[in-house]
Amino acid sequence: MLRGAEIFLQCLRAEGVELVFGYPGGAIMPLYDALEGSGIRHILTRHEQGAIFAAEGHARATGEVGVAIATSGPGATNLVTGIADAKMDSVPLVCITGQVRSALIGTDAFQETDVFGLTLSLTKWSRLVRSIEEIPTVIAEGFHWAREGRPGPVVIDIPTDFLKAKMEFSGPAKFTPKPRPSDAIANGAFADDVIALLQKAERPVALIGAGAKLSGAIPELRQLLDSLNIPTFATVHGLGAVVPSAPYYLGMVGMHGTRAANMALHENDLLLVFGARLDDRVTGDPSRFAPHSKIVHFEIDPAQLDRVRQCELPVIGDLAQTIPAFHRKIKNAKLPDWSEWRAVACGEDRAELDPRGLSQLTVRFLDELFGRLPENSVVIADVGQHQMWAAQRYRSALPRGFITSGGLGAMGFALPAAVGVQLSKPDATVVCVSGDGGFQMNIQELATVRRLNLPIKMVIVDNKYLGMVRQWQQLFYQRNYAETDLSDNPDFVEIAKAYRINAERLNEDAMQEYPVTQCTADALERFLKSEGPELLVFDCAPEANVYPMVPAGAALSEMLFEED
Amino acid sequence: MNAFHIHYRNTQGTLMRILTAVSRRGIEIPYMHAAASGPGHRADLLLEVNAKQIGQLCRDWHAIVDVTDVRVGTPTPEMMEAAAGFAGPHPPASASAGGRSASAAMA
Repeated sequence: MLRGAEIFLQCLRAEGVELVFGYPGGAIMPLYDALEGSGIRHILTRHEQGAIFAAEGHARATGEVGVAIATSGPGATNLVTGIADAKMDSVPLVCITGQVRSALIGTDAFQETDVFGLTLSLTKWSRLVRSIEEIPTVIAEGFHWAREGRPGPVVIDIPTDFLKAKMEFSGPAKFTPKPRPSDAIANGAFADDVIALLQKAERPVALIGAGAKLSGAIPELRQLLDSLNIPTFATVHGLGAVVPSAPYYLGMVGMHGTRAANMALHENDLLLVFGARLDDRVTGDPSRFAPHSKIVHFEIDPAQLDRVRQCELPVIGDLAQTIPAFHRKIKNAKLPDWSEWRAVACGEDRAELDPRGLSQLTVRFLDELFGRLPENSVVIADVGQHQMWAAQRYRSALPRGFITSGGLGAMGFALPAAVGVQLSKPDATVVCVSGDGGFQMNIQELATVRRLNLPIKMVIVDNKYLGMVRQWQQLFYQRNYAETDLSDNPDFVEIAKAYRINAERLNEDAMQEYPVTQCTADALERFLKSEGPELLVFDCAPEANVYPMVPAGAALSEMLFEED
Repeated sequence: MNAFHIHYRNTQGTLMRILTAVSRRGIEIPYMHAAASGPGHRADLLLEVNAKQIGQLCRDWHAIVDVTDVRVGTPTPEMMEAAAGFAGPHPPASASAGGRSASAAMA
């Protein structure tokens, strides 16, 4: 006879789980009681939101399912932002929440919340466990749905009495989904239709999103793009899918995308979309998005099709299958010569206005920092101006080399996510870039970093504002800086030291010289090569802005490069 | 008005997921009926939606794990009759208290 908690943990092990993140509490205590000897390493964060973001970091860095554990009531509600984040960014996640005793459910018992109900619209699948006997099948099914198709978050809510109860356990369950007669998957014939569109196209382009990376078909995608040799760009989550040095690659597209990418996306007459949902940050004004374009949409999740613009040709299916199938056909197809279009789209007159970032010292700083990173590095960006600067400047060829909360835009993501990444990639240089606002949203995770002695290199770009909101206030609200002033920030260096973490401050004046002085170079080298955790606070000009910028509601061709 | 017929396995939360796909868009549901149908269950909804919303809803429903099929159809007279009733007081008025409505009595 085994306790439900022991069965639960054995089932997690059967799903390949070795690492979980969580925070204990009353209803989930039996699970914690059974942890020792289970073969599962538990990382105690200092807040449940830290736990779920760390689990996301693990999942985003490895492609494996991340697991977060919390107790009932406030423990579970503190997971909600992370669940929404995982839904938006297609992160495979299993959240385990303790629940009050089954007999007390619905009585407003102490720390009871309807976790199942409140996460319904945020989860891909969820279950309130109704008996100890259900535990193996619920876990098997939950992990299946977290991984299957477009990955996403799953919630398993388990009453505490089922974790304490005992039963004979014959082993973990296996789950086989029932087929759905209405599932329509693209067959090989689609490739002929795409080729027919390509043969008529004069200005074709390719847009790469997260789905291309999630499929795992990166080598195949890169071969396909080499064969097509058409102007190509990526969403923030598509960064790293294309080798940044590829001659046809134009960089990031969207609100803070490159001039070349946005212009090509606006002007093309055939848009091949690989695993991107075309959200408003990518399209700008939907009514003026790619006005001359026909769209071919390679997508695993039919729910992502036609959200903004109707596509001419949906190619529904796992990109791991559709991309190679398309490439096989392309090899033998006669395609037009697009060199003239390529010359326009990739031309000098569309290049970055300030490639060295000399007019923007934070950009200079990031260039200096990123230029010193080894190839296996992972950069995790929080949310705000620094996120966009980092996305613009970090040019990794690793598909999982740049991680951020792109869809939900959840401030406070980066530090705990970096914990998950560093634990999953112990040999990688992990750099966490935050703003002064976001860092304070999960600053308590410095304790987790310290306890585990994780060599995370933490950077705070400190402009003493909620910078991105301030930028919008400057540009679109007549400089009414309502409630974005953080000039009374604490001394982050002293805070880090209180957590027994080395910390230094770098003033942006250090970036005035090009190249930087030996003293500054040494400081950056020292920061990156330290064996333990390090914090570097970069004092940024308070009113520095991220450019280019497509104002909300404008077309992609209407980029701002400076304040009007 | 469009009628939607969503076939689903009656597992925990599936009907609620079907409904929240509608409610998250601020669309009212003048008619809804769910019952066992063949080997599974079927929810019939009557909604005032445009062509783009029809596509989005059908795809969102189809993405729900235990939804097995989604069909768009013509509203039945029963649906339309129920929908007409929907145009009445909302929330429904109480039975009169001494000839006055409940809200008037409270006032």
